[in-house]
Amino acid sequence: MSEVRELTFSEAINEAYIEEMQCDENVFLFGECIRAGTFPHTAGLLKKFGEKRVLDSPIAEANMAGFALGAAQEGLRPVVDFMYAGFSYYAATEIFLNTASYYHVHGSQHPVPIVYVGTCGVGRRVGYEHATPVYGTAIHHPGLKVCMPSTPYDAKGLMKAAIRDNNPVFFLWHTTMVAQKGPVPEEEYIVPLGLADVKREGTDVTILTLGLQVHNALAVAETLQDEISVEVVDARSVEPFDLETLLKSVEKTTRLVIVDEDIERAGFAAEISALMMEQGYDLLDAPVKRVCHPNFPSPGGYMDAYTMPTPERIEDAVREVCR
Amino acid sequence: MALTKKQKKLLYINLTRAMTLDRMMMRIIRAGRMTGFYHEGGVSLAPGVAIGSFLRKDDCLGPHYRAHGIAEMVSKGVDIPSYLAEHMGREDGCCKGRSSYHWSYPDDKMYGAGANLGMPYGLACGYSFAAKYKGTDQVALTAFGDGSFQEGRSYEGLSMASAWKLPAIFWCNNNGIAQHTELSNVYPIEDLSRVAAALGMPTMIVDGQDLFACGEAALKAIDHARKGKGPFFVEAKYLRAQEHNVGGLNTSGDVPRSQELMEKWKEERDPLKLATLQLLDEGILTQKEIEKIQKDAEDEADKIEEAADQSPKALPSIEELLAAVYAPDTVVENA
Ligand SMILES: Cc1ncc(C[n+]2csc(CCOP(=O)(O)OP(=O)(O)O)c2C)c(N)n1
Ligand SMILES: [Mg+2]
Repeated sequence: MSEVRELTFSEAINEAYIEEMQCDENVFLFGECIRAGTFPHTAGLLKKFGEKRVLDSPIAEANMAGFALGAAQEGLRPVVDFMYAGFSYYAATEIFLNTASYYHVHGSQHPVPIVYVGTCGVGRRVGYEHATPVYGTAIHHPGLKVCMPSTPYDAKGLMKAAIRDNNPVFFLWHTTMVAQKGPVPEEEYIVPLGLADVKREGTDVTILTLGLQVHNALAVAETLQDEISVEVVDARSVEPFDLETLLKSVEKTTRLVIVDEDIERAGFAAEISALMMEQGYDLLDAPVKRVCHPNFPSPGGYMDAYTMPTPERIEDAVREVCR
Repeated sequence: MALTKKQKKLLYINLTRAMTLDRMMMRIIRAGRMTGFYHEGGVSLAPGVAIGSFLRKDDCLGPHYRAHGIAEMVSKGVDIPSYLAEHMGREDGCCKGRSSYHWSYPDDKMYGAGANLGMPYGLACGYSFAAKYKGTDQVALTAFGDGSFQEGRSYEGLSMASAWKLPAIFWCNNNGIAQHTELSNVYPIEDLSRVAAALGMPTMIVDGQDLFACGEAALKAIDHARKGKGPFFVEAKYLRAQEHNVGGLNTSGDVPRSQELMEKWKEERDPLKLATLQLLDEGILTQKEIEKIQKDAEDEADKIEEAADQSPKALPSIEELLAAVYAPDTVVENA
């Protein structure tokens, strides 16, 4: 059997773009400095698809998102790249209110397929504007789908699913992982939205997380392997969320730690904790534990060490729920 | 662009219909039979009629929110019973009666109203970009007020449309007031079209109470955009002779606007009264024809109200609403 080739996150996303743009004329890329590629995921696409389908947007995020909604209503399938996902907050009205609500409020008759792309995550010491992971805010607005890959394989598959989806989808990727490599097969595949992935099986405790933190969770599982058997569930998709896979895992392990780079208060981890109370309470032998960004703003700089869920913090949490 | 007799007649009929339907909407909301709110059109409907009458069915149109787009819609040929039913929360509403005033008519290229001032600029860019992308000669028109124009999004949208030579028409209805805030209090210039001009766009200012001047401006703007010459900005100076919304106040700051002035505007600047005088004077319509147009419009309004009223109240289950949040999976074929 031949070795599966390795691609970076950027290369994987680039391939997803190429494949989807080749199969649907209506897909086009529109974003901040994508022709040059602040991040290399758009490298070479201008040459390949021309100026019509690969456009640098004005640096005007509200207009970018309003534009995308209009283009989608008219039958196009825009992929809107905010460079850093946090910049999209200038378009909060357009994305979280108007676009998210459009389909449902107008009688569930007219889909608006849009992909919003942006990097995020702590770890580069650059502060809240570039770090805010957006997904906690996004899932508070029904109508949006939200995903965040932890591997180049998932990045390609989720991006293809996002582009084909008939709804607005936020595709988030971690700034520190842009050049990280992983196996990506040559054959075409899709990773459907709404399917979690058990990245490591275990029997004593479940860690639910996504993005970069999947790797920290796996590192902790490795460290603890002789003491505590850790199962790592990668949510991949935050909305729709695969509760079934999580419940199945917790049924086996009876303990749950949720690792989330977002601010702890009222975020993704809080939502999953509440779902566990309502639908998984009887499965648990210990209270759910969250490892999140503490409830203060992300200053950046050396403070990142305080705000990031590190392997040390995750390990402490795992030990606590297993006591 | 001078109007033909036929065009003048069309505008006149549509304005009569629009103002009659606006009165119908007022009757219904005052009787407590409408959900949400309504913003009376009153004497402010000439621009909407001009726009709606001269755009093609396949041109995208985002109307100004005042009178909830009724002037634009009735002129463009949208199904009004389902629009009224939507406002009344009925099953046959265009959005299944869920949404109060959030109507939408994609087949008529009117994708719908929302409450956020400032939305139309980006949308117009998206619509007109799509026309260019597909290589059609469709144009997109978006209408907004001076209040909406204060949003920074106006600058963002105008500059993109101008930079990319998009077939977009920006139609500004400037009455110098936004709810209770006078433009002169918060904005440095009076003629908002100067901003568009600075961004490289051709502009014109028209009397928004003059139906035929609005019609000529609409034709000129549409022709410009349709020929691929890029965006065009029309500023219609128009009047609001009543409170901002039904049940609201009619003040400037906290000072009531002069009731005498409002009455004077209704008397002297009502676009239908002005158009009637002009068409009689030009011999385009007779008094008898005018009465017939008025009568037809009343009959139309009655039929619309009756049709909407027959539809049952929309009472979907929570399960139904929950299942309706996301569009089904895509059907795009694999390569
Ligand atoms: C983003 C946003 N801010 C504020 C409002 C509240 N609001 C609704 S209508 C209105 C006035 C709009 O004035 P203008 O655009 O000039 O239209 P006009 O009523 O004068 O025709 C305001 C302030 C809103 N709907 N949306
Ligand atoms: Mg105004």
